[in-house]
Amino acid sequence: MNLQIFVNALVNAALIAPPAMAFSLLFGVLKFPNFAIGGYITLGAFAAYTFNVPLGLPLPLATLGAMLFTGFVVWLAHVWVFKPMQDQSAVTLLVVSIALTLILESVVRLFFSADVRGFDIPLERPWKFWGARITREQVEIIACAVVLATGLHVLLRHTRIGRAMRAVADNPMLAAIRGVDAAKITALTTVLCGAIFGLTGVFAGLDLVIEPLVGWNLTIPIFAAAILGGIGSPYGAILGALLLGLAEELTILVLPSTYKIAVGFVIIAIFLLLRPQGLFGTAEIKK
Amino acid sequence: MSAYLVSMATYAGFFMILALALNLQWGLTGMVNFGIAGFYALGAYTSGLLSAKAGWPLGLSIPMAIAAGFAAGGLVALLSMRLREDFLAIVTLGVGEVIRLIVLNEDQITEGPRGLRIEAQPFQSLMAPENYPVFYLGFVAFFVAITYWICERIRKAPMGRTLRAIREDDVVAGVLGKNVFRHRIQIFAIGGGFMGLAGALYAHYSQNISPEVFMPTVAMFIWMSVIVGGAGNNRGLLIGAGTVIMFLEGTRFFGDVLPWLDAETMSSVRIITIGLLLIVTLRLRPRGLLPEPKFTYTRDKIAG
Repeated sequence: MNLQIFVNALVNAALIAPPAMAFSLLFGVLKFPNFAIGGYITLGAFAAYTFNVPLGLPLPLATLGAMLFTGFVVWLAHVWVFKPMQDQSAVTLLVVSIALTLILESVVRLFFSADVRGFDIPLERPWKFWGARITREQVEIIACAVVLATGLHVLLRHTRIGRAMRAVADNPMLAAIRGVDAAKITALTTVLCGAIFGLTGVFAGLDLVIEPLVGWNLTIPIFAAAILGGIGSPYGAILGALLLGLAEELTILVLPSTYKIAVGFVIIAIFLLLRPQGLFGTAEIKK
Repeated sequence: MSAYLVSMATYAGFFMILALALNLQWGLTGMVNFGIAGFYALGAYTSGLLSAKAGWPLGLSIPMAIAAGFAAGGLVALLSMRLREDFLAIVTLGVGEVIRLIVLNEDQITEGPRGLRIEAQPFQSLMAPENYPVFYLGFVAFFVAITYWICERIRKAPMGRTLRAIREDDVVAGVLGKNVFRHRIQIFAIGGGFMGLAGALYAHYSQNISPEVFMPTVAMFIWMSVIVGGAGNNRGLLIGAGTVIMFLEGTRFFGDVLPWLDAETMSSVRIITIGLLLIVTLRLRPRGLLPEPKFTYTRDKIAG
């Protein structure tokens, strides 16, 4: 029973940590909280579903296709919507990004209706150990999340492109003076983050269900994890995801599970008030 | 058809009050509020519960809804002291969602998803039921006019200048001796009160309120109204709220023209259209349809 809570929290964290890192990266480059991630995740889930079920591709290939597709869509959204509006205030962009999520969700609804779907994978009995259960898919999700987080770490710390990304996030003008093509790096970041959101869509489809609201339901936990860890700090996002997963599972013990979504909000509020820079963010002087 | 237009106009009235309130908070003072749906729900359930379950007269329950919104607004404003505006957006969204979740889950009081039935309607006994919708439209229009008048008075008053100063740079406003903290709380509370009023008007109009009405999408539509209309311009956002309602409700008429579209397709098309409306407006007119007028210091403006 008690071990099950930790298993659930771990799976939850594996689901939330990669998009929280991507959200953090995207925030660093674009400078506004992008609520469109809900729409992107939904799109990823349905793209993978389309490749997997009607087209009959094996799931790993379908996942790759979904990642490429979402990466492309996020880049398009950047070029058509957000880039031309970069002079608007962060709040206006936030409203636009919510509108974009509503549009993407409705487009998905238009083509697929609101039915609940699943991938074409054989059902297996969950593994049991010391009274806790875990499914094969959940183990795969955790493994993928670990690989992805390590990969992102290597990319950001040890490659030229990663250094350029951090430079642009830190100070675009200074980066430009030092010869970094900020526009190109920004575009590259959107594609990379888009691919991660696509992958999250697939994970969500594996662990939860595939339905148009799947992305929106994950949005708040992702925000909470990113804020908890300190926005702009991708590593903080991992710890944030773990703490959030644990907090959500623990509240189910005392509160009805319908309040689960409120936990994310309450954590965000408390953290922003007590420690606005998050666990690992650096304090900045603002206001 | 005309009954439908009357109901559409009534809904536009609720949206206009909400949009005016948001403009007071954000357009004028620069405080973000994404919890509009929560304040709207608070007003609706305060007046609804007091009249349906406690048997209070509407003359008391509607003012109580305003008071509840006012108090909640004042409390939420305390958060704005420490938060950057984009973070405040997320926290206020959370406040709205928590209010909705409480309404949904504490169903022994609020009837939760079953919906709360409210019999009482203002001045119900004075007229024939077939005339009532038109009367209620007038009743709502009266409150829109009052809200508009108060908002314009605040905007034009010396206080309005202070609020714009806080919006542009709160540190400078503070250095000039303005009490930024007090002004922020006041404006957020007044805005919250208006939102509570809109909720109460909605509750006694629809006579059946349930939590699904108060989804965060409501906040979204109000934000669109203000941004499309032109932030900071009260007249512009009345047009904005009208436009959003027209796109939201008016597209239902397509169903009569294009009968092969089923209800679910229609609702998707509606949402896509309204989202595109926002994006296209911002691309073509970045400051909205009617931008906030530049403040000029001419002699008669200072005098009047």
